[in-house]
Formats: sequence, structure tokens, C-alpha cells
Amino acid sequence: MVKEKYLASLKKSIINLDFNAVVEVAKAAMDAGVDPHIAITDGMVPGMTIVGEKFESGEYFLSELVVAGEVMNEGLKVINPYIKGDSAKRLGKVVIATVEGDNHDLGKNIVTTLLEIHGFEVVDLGKDVPTDKIIDAVKERKPDILGLSALLTVTMPKMGEAIEALKVAGLRKRVKVIIGGSPVTSEFAESVGADHCAVNAAEGVRKCTEWVTPREVR
Amino acid sequence: MAEMTRHERIMTATHKKRADKLPFFHWWRHSQIGWAERECRNRGMGMCWQRPPYIMKMHGVDIAETQVVSPGEVVLRRTYSTPVGSIYLDEKREPGVGQWHALRSWRDVLPWQTERLIKEPEDYKVLKYMVENTEYIPYYFPVEQAMDWLGEDGVVIDELPHSPMQMLMIDWIGSEGGRFFIHHAKYPDLVEDLYRAISKSREPLYEIAAKSPAPITNFGDNIDGVLVNPKLFQKYFMPEYEKMGKVLHEHGKLMAVHMDGRVGVLKDLIAKTPIDIVEALHPPPMGDLPIGEALSLWKDKVVWTGFPGSVYILGPEAVKKHALNLLREIGSGDRLVVEMSTENLVSNENLLMLTSILENADLPLTKEKIDRIEKSLA
Repeated sequence: MVKEKYLASLKKSIINLDFNAVVEVAKAAMDAGVDPHIAITDGMVPGMTIVGEKFESGEYFLSELVVAGEVMNEGLKVINPYIKGDSAKRLGKVVIATVEGDNHDLGKNIVTTLLEIHGFEVVDLGKDVPTDKIIDAVKERKPDILGLSALLTVTMPKMGEAIEALKVAGLRKRVKVIIGGSPVTSEFAESVGADHCAVNAAEGVRKCTEWVTPREVR
Repeated sequence: MAEMTRHERIMTATHKKRADKLPFFHWWRHSQIGWAERECRNRGMGMCWQRPPYIMKMHGVDIAETQVVSPGEVVLRRTYSTPVGSIYLDEKREPGVGQWHALRSWRDVLPWQTERLIKEPEDYKVLKYMVENTEYIPYYFPVEQAMDWLGEDGVVIDELPHSPMQMLMIDWIGSEGGRFFIHHAKYPDLVEDLYRAISKSREPLYEIAAKSPAPITNFGDNIDGVLVNPKLFQKYFMPEYEKMGKVLHEHGKLMAVHMDGRVGVLKDLIAKTPIDIVEALHPPPMGDLPIGEALSLWKDKVVWTGFPGSVYILGPEAVKKHALNLLREIGSGDRLVVEMSTENLVSNENLLMLTSILENADLPLTKEKIDRIEKSLA
């Protein structure tokens, strides 16, 4: 099989949510000497991009987005051992977390997947993340953007607490802060000093992309 | 005409007839007991009590609870041992759980599972054994007791667990990290086999609920269209609702389903179900389906709407604005009941503000009546 056929098959396996195919094709591609970076960037990522587009247009649901991500992970398990170094160019870096006291991570995970599809490096701190851990991550990982998620109204004040802690640590001007989650509104975002409230995952990712894209190339 | 009691008001609207005023109530489980709650009840707020009409016994299953540190935090581990193997879940509990009511913490948050019962494919057979050896037994005392206590001050409804697939999605497999979707894609036979076993085991439970003295049975399904997409809803939820509805309706009971998420994507399918009450429907900004649209789309159904916590968090002025907007979009106000909260405690200030509006919402609503309410608050 020529290189292009392996890449097309990888892409198709992601779009078709096919666990078996992605592993088989990834193994065959590596055995055939396909560059692992190319296998990812020109094979699997375009597949995920199409899945992301289908999700944003409503053709695919969250279930397909999640499963496509998992199919890609299975393929990456085969390909990653062949990679030497990390030459991937990223659009920007996002630290993301569900705030303390909140165990809901679906929304955060959708955003994470879409951010990665769009070329961001995402540092996912997980769920129920204490404010000091978020601040430490901003200090250490130096992201362009901090994303905070909450589903419970009782945990929403933790978003304000994190933004206040960023100010106290002298980090607020270094990062844009985007918040989201079903109960989170623009009024609330304004009241706690966030830069933006994501209406949904796709809109949030568009805002992040806009923030890291120089005005002249938007 | 004599003023209706809170019970009459809620049930009249729920039977799709015109009440004297827009019914509104507080759930007992979210209600603060105190001066503001008493004042609001004196001014027309009803109370709703949800209680199980059954007890459950698992045969051939040993259950043990221990406290463990996992990972780096204290959790409660519950291990179920059966002849075909053992499974466990880990549960994190906030302060207050077990010290006041309904397993809720002082902040009104339920315990959450940090480890689910199903982790690996081999766990399915253990859970299936548990399901097949679960016996549901009628036990109406909690319902009868609450009905006796509450009288005309509100309504008592039966509480049933999540429907079979929702048990798997948000309880036993869990949705964190998309776990359910991954299991459903990787192990469809195991998921479907367990789903069918749960569905079968629940049949006696529906009969028990149908014979309970409460007028309504509520399935605590927490439906959200982001998680339960239309394909899943159609395949796994609608048939179960059909089954439940048939049994309940044969006994003259109403069926409610707790749908507190974003259900816009499911609205046409919901219209086709035998559900009588779409319970806890949240309008924007939390949900994605305006109440006016829901009422006009589901003409054979009643909506019990949950007042959004994301409005409460902005304070009484935001509550006033949202409540007045709600009144302006619901036409005459028929087929609607307002739940003060379905998820959290409400501050006294917010509760009083919402009551100030709803206590004067005489039906049928008109623009003039709503303008008068607004003026009275100025």
C-alpha cells in the first residue's frame, strides 16, 4: 500500500469509529515505514477534524466525538513508540479544569477534544481541581488560556475564586480566562472577571482560536 | 370560587385543567425550614415530597463498606460480593451527608462516585447477577406518611430510580471521560445484555408504583440531550417509557420523568412518549428549550419547570427579571407548575422574591396582570 492509502485508511478508521481498523492500519503503516508524525498529522488528525466538524454541525453527537477520540488513542498507542522527539507545532496552550467540588467533566472533555483537533496543546487538570492546583499549573505551564468548567451552581463561585487567586499571584494579565458549563452565563462571567463565557464547546474553541491568532491573519 | 388549596392547584394544572393561580412549590429535599420558607408557604407556595413506594432486597449478595484512601483522599468503598465475583464503587461524601436529609451535604450536593461499579468487561456479569437477584417489595408507608403529614399543603409523588439505560450511563458505568460511550462502542453486547436484564427486573417495580396511593410516579432520569442523544433516547428510553406508561395509566396514575438538562435535541421524540409530566424542565440559560415553546410543542403534556440555579446565583433582581419573562412567554399559564428549585437550596431573599411574583399570578395570565405584578414590585 502506498503512503497515501495508509493515511486515507487511518482517516477513514477515525471517521467510521473503527477500533479494529485503526490498530491494523497503524501497525501496517509503521511496518511499511510511514513517518509516524505524518501518520498522525495527515492521517488521524484530518479524520478527527471531520468528526469535529460533524459534531459542530449536529450530524455527530457527543457519543461519536468521544468514541472517535478513543479510536484515535488506540491508534496512537501503536504509533507513539515510533516517534522520536516532538516536532508538532501548536496553536497555543490551554490549561483546563473542572473546579473544586464538581465531578462533572463531560463538557470539559468535549472542549479538550475540540481544542486538540484545532491544534492546541491542552493541559487537562481533570475534575474537582482545587484552586491552588490551578494556580500552580498556570505558573508552571505558562498557558495562553485558562479554561474553567462547572456544572453545579454551588461550585460556580470557585471560578471567581480562581480568577481572584490569579490576580493575587500576579498572573491574571498573563492568561485569558474562559469559563463554561450549563449553568454559567455571561452575566456571571462578567461578575467574576472572566474574559469570556463559552456558549457551547464549539463557540468556546472559536474564541480561544481568535485569542491566539494575530489580528492581521484572522 | 373558593381559593384552591396548594394540592388542588398543583393537581388541577397537572390534569391540564385551569387552576385559580399558577401553581408553585418547593421540593422538601431542597427546602430550608425557617421563617422565609414559612412565609412563602403562607403566601401560596406548595410543598412536594418524593418518596419511594418500595424496598429492595438483593439475594445472594454480600455488601461491605469500608473507608479507604483512594487516590490521596478518603472515600467510602462499597463492595458487592456474589457467587460470580465481586465489584466495588468508591464514593466521596461532603460534610453533612447522613447528618441532615436525602443523603445531601450541607451544600446540598449528593455524594459522588469516584469509582464506578463497572470498570472492566468482567464486571458486567457480576452486576447482571445482582440485577437478576434483586427483589422489589411494595412498601407504601413512606408515601402514606408524607400524604398524611402534607395534606392539602402540596403533593406526594412516588420516586423511582433511573430507567435502565440511564442506570448504566450515569450511575453504574458513568459518563466521566465519556466512559459509557466507549463501553457502548467497545462492548455493545455486554451493555445491551445488562440493559435487558435491568429492564426485565424493573417490571415488578412499575406494578408496585402503579398501586401506590400517590397520584404521580416520577422517574428520576436526569435526561440531558448532550449525553442521551436522539439515537440512544429512541432505542433505549422510549420503549421503557412506553412500558412504564402503560402500567401506570392502567391504574389511573400519571407518569413524570425528570428531564433537567438540555433537551432541545430530543423535543420531537419527547412529544411521542406517553410521559404526562416533563418534570424539572429548565429553560435557558441552563436548559435550551424555552418553556413557551415546550408547552406549545407538547400539547398533551404538562411541564413542571425548575427555576434555574444560574439565575438564583445572580440575586433577587435577576430572579424578578427571569420570573416576569417566564410569565410573559407562557400564554394563559395553563399546564405549567413552577418548582422553586430542583438542584440546590435557595436563599431566603430569592425565595421571597419569586414568591412575590408567583403568588399574584392569577390564571388565565394576561399582559395587564403581569404588568400589575411588575408594578407592585417596583
